[in-house]
Amino acid sequence: MGAAPASRDVTSYGMGLAVPLALFFLVFFVAPLLQLLWLSLHNDTAGLHWGIGQYLHFLTDPFSLSVLGSTLLLGAEVTAVCLVLGFPIAWLYQRVGPRLQTVIILIVLLPLLTSVVVRTFAWIVILGRQGIINATLQSLGMIDTPLKLLYTQFGVVIALAQVQMPLMTLPLITALGRIDPNLDDASCSLGAGSWRTFWRIVLPLSLPGVIAGCTLTYAAAITAFITQSLIGGGQMLFMPMYLYQQASTLQNWPFASAISIIFLLAVLAVVSVFTTLGRLSRGYGGA
Amino acid sequence: MNLNRRSLLTTALTLGAMKAFPGLSYAQARPLVFATFTGSWEEAHKAVLVPAFRKANADAQIVLDPMLSVDQIAKVNAAKANPPIDVMLHDPGPALLAIGQDLVEPYPVEKSAYYKDLIAEAQEPTGPAPFFQVVGLTYNPEAVKTPPTSWADLWKPEFKGRVGITNLNSTLGTGWLVEIAKMRGGSEANVDPGFKALEELKPNLAAVAANPGALATLFQQGQIDISPGNFNAIQILKARGVPVEFVAPKEGAIAFKTTIHIVKNSPNRELAFKLIEAALTPEVQTTLMNPPYLIVPTNSKVTMGGEIARVLAKDTAELKKKFVFQDWKKINEQRSAWIERFNREIKL
Repeated sequence: MGAAPASRDVTSYGMGLAVPLALFFLVFFVAPLLQLLWLSLHNDTAGLHWGIGQYLHFLTDPFSLSVLGSTLLLGAEVTAVCLVLGFPIAWLYQRVGPRLQTVIILIVLLPLLTSVVVRTFAWIVILGRQGIINATLQSLGMIDTPLKLLYTQFGVVIALAQVQMPLMTLPLITALGRIDPNLDDASCSLGAGSWRTFWRIVLPLSLPGVIAGCTLTYAAAITAFITQSLIGGGQMLFMPMYLYQQASTLQNWPFASAISIIFLLAVLAVVSVFTTLGRLSRGYGGA
Repeated sequence: MNLNRRSLLTTALTLGAMKAFPGLSYAQARPLVFATFTGSWEEAHKAVLVPAFRKANADAQIVLDPMLSVDQIAKVNAAKANPPIDVMLHDPGPALLAIGQDLVEPYPVEKSAYYKDLIAEAQEPTGPAPFFQVVGLTYNPEAVKTPPTSWADLWKPEFKGRVGITNLNSTLGTGWLVEIAKMRGGSEANVDPGFKALEELKPNLAAVAANPGALATLFQQGQIDISPGNFNAIQILKARGVPVEFVAPKEGAIAFKTTIHIVKNSPNRELAFKLIEAALTPEVQTTLMNPPYLIVPTNSKVTMGGEIARVLAKDTAELKKKFVFQDWKKINEQRSAWIERFNREIKL
């Protein structure tokens, strides 16, 4: 501790530093959340009669449950696509020269520099009936009538995967960067092939990044109101749109609050599965 | 002055609070706040209505705060005693909601110089209608060679996979469904025939857009060739060079009253009244009827001209004949059930 004043231990930290942000969260996040919970526990739209009717309504209604299910499934699909497409990019990043690294990072970050609305409209142009994909396939003579891509689950997954890709790639790049490259060489020199090295060494060690990326992508994909409604259209209902419909068009705030609380809990459950996996993987990676 | 940490912090917090809540510092005299709609409405009101109002009222301060009807209601509801908005603009559905929740002041009809000149349908004591919105058939003239004449044309086999509609979140979607129901023997109280008709429309449906704005862009993409559409939205697309045409179906074009209201407990009641008066004048309505705005007037002293006279109505008498007004009180009673049913049944 040599030069430091003797009375002060530099390894200690004051919780006081977190107070401004904590206060901000308390006023602008926790308080509204409690208000939301309070509102959701009312059976009438005026908010006069207490009860759990809104929750019962949601949880006993197969339609509402199917909306929740399809939203959670959508998140899983987008996350899977992002992982499968993002991992090779992140892996490549660690193995190319600095010039190519700059190019890769620029390509990864570029989507973040334009607004989600603009990116989503670009996807409408790409997926449309006379869009780039259909025009190309038609000029190649591979299809006679245009494929229906816009307003389909496939379209939503592809568009969301592109929009949310940086959230997956960036944690992966960081995680892969932390792996000692000597481990690869060691594995190879001990007789393991490339695939075995990948499955036994690289993948387990990158798991923290995989899990962080999955959590971020998943949370962003299921709540992406703009992309879901513009690419999915008015007949494909996901939780954010369902919520908006009840709150805004129908002014049924208690039901909308109940929907958001249920959605929040469902997302928390999924995220906690991810973090549990993360904790397990940390043990694994450290072994 | 004693510059210690505590006094610095207090000052910083106060400054921060004033920045975060500007209302603190001038709670007493704020300018008139008019919540118009976003997009072309805002442009039209900024360019025509606001200057006319300021000229007539010694340059009174006014702020346009564009937002959706439902957001206006939410904002006023959140602060009923001291509302942040003085004048609201509403589609028929939300207007009834706002009136039902006791958020609007009755319009001082006896004081008004222009109220009596409005055509009967626009005279609403809770807040008059300065404009109409009109919904008819929209089509791409490059793909649809013979112009459609009836709502029933949407069901023609030649439009397989070419028709677009919106869901019931929008006034357009709901109003259109009611009209379809009426065409098949239903009414505002019974839209069953409308849902049956929708079922039959499914093979033709290329898109169910989330809102009218998204529907309009689908013409640009060639995703759809024909759809129910809003007259004003189509004029904007047309002006940008998109091949679209509007036609009033023979069953009658659906007319929505866009009503304007003084907010209850507004601190600027007098100015709010003056703004609404300005919106009812033949001068403002005539300017707004001309290009590029093409907003349908409600003051019977306005002589119809241009595109509106060509496509919609030459005068008030013809307008009354060709427009269909719907009973939104009835519609609102069951709208949430319809939205639920639409959610469940319309899957492509």
